Amino acid sequence: MNNFSISSRSAQDVAVITPRGYINDMGAIRLEKTSEQFLGRGIRKLVVNFADVQFINTIGISIFTGIVQKTREYDSLLCFTNLKKIHCDIFDMVGLIKHVKVFSNEEEAITFLNGRG
Amino acid sequence: MNKSVQLKRLLFSMESLVDLGQEVSSSKELAKKMKAALYMVTGIFSVPTAAVFVYDPQKKCFLHLVDKGLRGKSKKEIRLTVVARHIKRLKMNDPHDMHALAKTMFYRQNQELFAKLQTKIFIPLWIKGNLVGAITLGKKLGNAVYRSEDRDILRIIAHQTAMTLYNARLFLELTKKVSENKRLYTTMQKIYHDTIQAFAAAIDAKDDYTKDHSSRVANYSVAIARELGWKPLALEGMHVAGLLHDIGKIIVDREIINKGEKLTTPEECEIKKHPQISYDILSKVKFPWKDIEYFVRHHHERVDGKGYPDALGSSELSEGVKILALADAFDAMTTDRPYRRKLTLEEAYYEILRCSGTQFDPHIIHTFFMVLKKELQGNVKDPLILPSLNSGQPLPDPVLFDQIPEHPVAS
Repeated sequence: MNNFSISSRSAQDVAVITPRGYINDMGAIRLEKTSEQFLGRGIRKLVVNFADVQFINTIGISIFTGIVQKTREYDSLLCFTNLKKIHCDIFDMVGLIKHVKVFSNEEEAITFLNGRG
Repeated sequence: MNKSVQLKRLLFSMESLVDLGQEVSSSKELAKKMKAALYMVTGIFSVPTAAVFVYDPQKKCFLHLVDKGLRGKSKKEIRLTVVARHIKRLKMNDPHDMHALAKTMFYRQNQELFAKLQTKIFIPLWIKGNLVGAITLGKKLGNAVYRSEDRDILRIIAHQTAMTLYNARLFLELTKKVSENKRLYTTMQKIYHDTIQAFAAAIDAKDDYTKDHSSRVANYSVAIARELGWKPLALEGMHVAGLLHDIGKIIVDREIINKGEKLTTPEECEIKKHPQISYDILSKVKFPWKDIEYFVRHHHERVDGKGYPDALGSSELSEGVKILALADAFDAMTTDRPYRRKLTLEEAYYEILRCSGTQFDPHIIHTFFMVLKKELQGNVKDPLILPSLNSGQPLPDPVLFDQIPEHPVAS
């Protein structure tokens, strides 16, 4: 909890969430809540930038599972960017990756999302 | 699935189980650690909805403990109705597919909640023959199937979770017992003190002139001991010693106690037996306080060694004895007796000073007068001396006590 922080911003219909540090305990549940808040406000395009994420454990995977589930319920688009290989492999192994779009950086993700209605 | 992926999955599962083990055995509050554990489990299988329930044997139902992904409804009201014999038919700590339970009464009774939780898997949690709870897991993300390896991992998780819930139940029962024992102890303590008070009243009732003498002596003694910095338990003992110091008078002839004139030598011998008798009675009682029997035995001793029953000198008398001796004599001075009227506080002050270093210990005298002065000035939060004195007693100016030397001795 001490090693985790989160920032977010939104422009038009895209929200960018930037977690930092360790996503390995219940303190990181804020990620799920932040995503829900954006979806609740009608924003249907979410980007999660993993550039500053050092560690993800099963609690973190569960949190992202929840986010994926919510974006599906809201018929929204979810993009992950700046994923380290180790995190990408874990998401792939637990079957999460096929439910999100993965980009190497935020700009690419936003360009993609802006091109979608 | 190729072997490399299988191996990766196995390592991931093992690592996750280690994390889970650490979480459930942590010292966190049960709901907090179970919530974290549930997130771990749902993370392993990518399940958006799941819940852990605890079994309530009295209500015969599973009560909601924690969940992930469940919306609406006050969660405290969420429960799964259960008939124990139905559950017993299910293999313990085993993941059961909900479609296999669809025809059971258990499923039908709880159909609505199972639907809300999107339950795919139900695991009854058992340990040492006790049903302790249940886990429900929803469908996996993208409706992926639960594989055979998943079920193996779920059995381990079920066992760990069952153990945690069982330990929590034991701890709760233990906490309840401790709380009940504390309550009983407090009640017993009150009964004990009330009984001692009743004894003190019985002792004082024997003497027409000394109603509440024991109670006042107890209060004066505690006031001095408190000023000397005694600890709460020791103060409690001092109070009890004050209440019971004259218990030996119970077997002294009432006529001797109430005689209005000088006692004959045999009568005097008779009454002087009471500290020894008090000791004989109280030394057979296993009090939680130290030395009470000695305080009462020696409360008529003097620091010059001319007291009774053992004629001990100052160095052989404990602080408690010296306190009780002064408190007892002060009350005798300030109450009417069959053979003389009571002294005023000022008269008692000079009388005590006169006996300093002979009958009473100078340091105890000094302490006593310091407390009395503070009480006269209103500087004691919980005064014990002034409220115990007979009403109508003229109170001296506190300045009177300004001249008390640290170690007053008779002039």
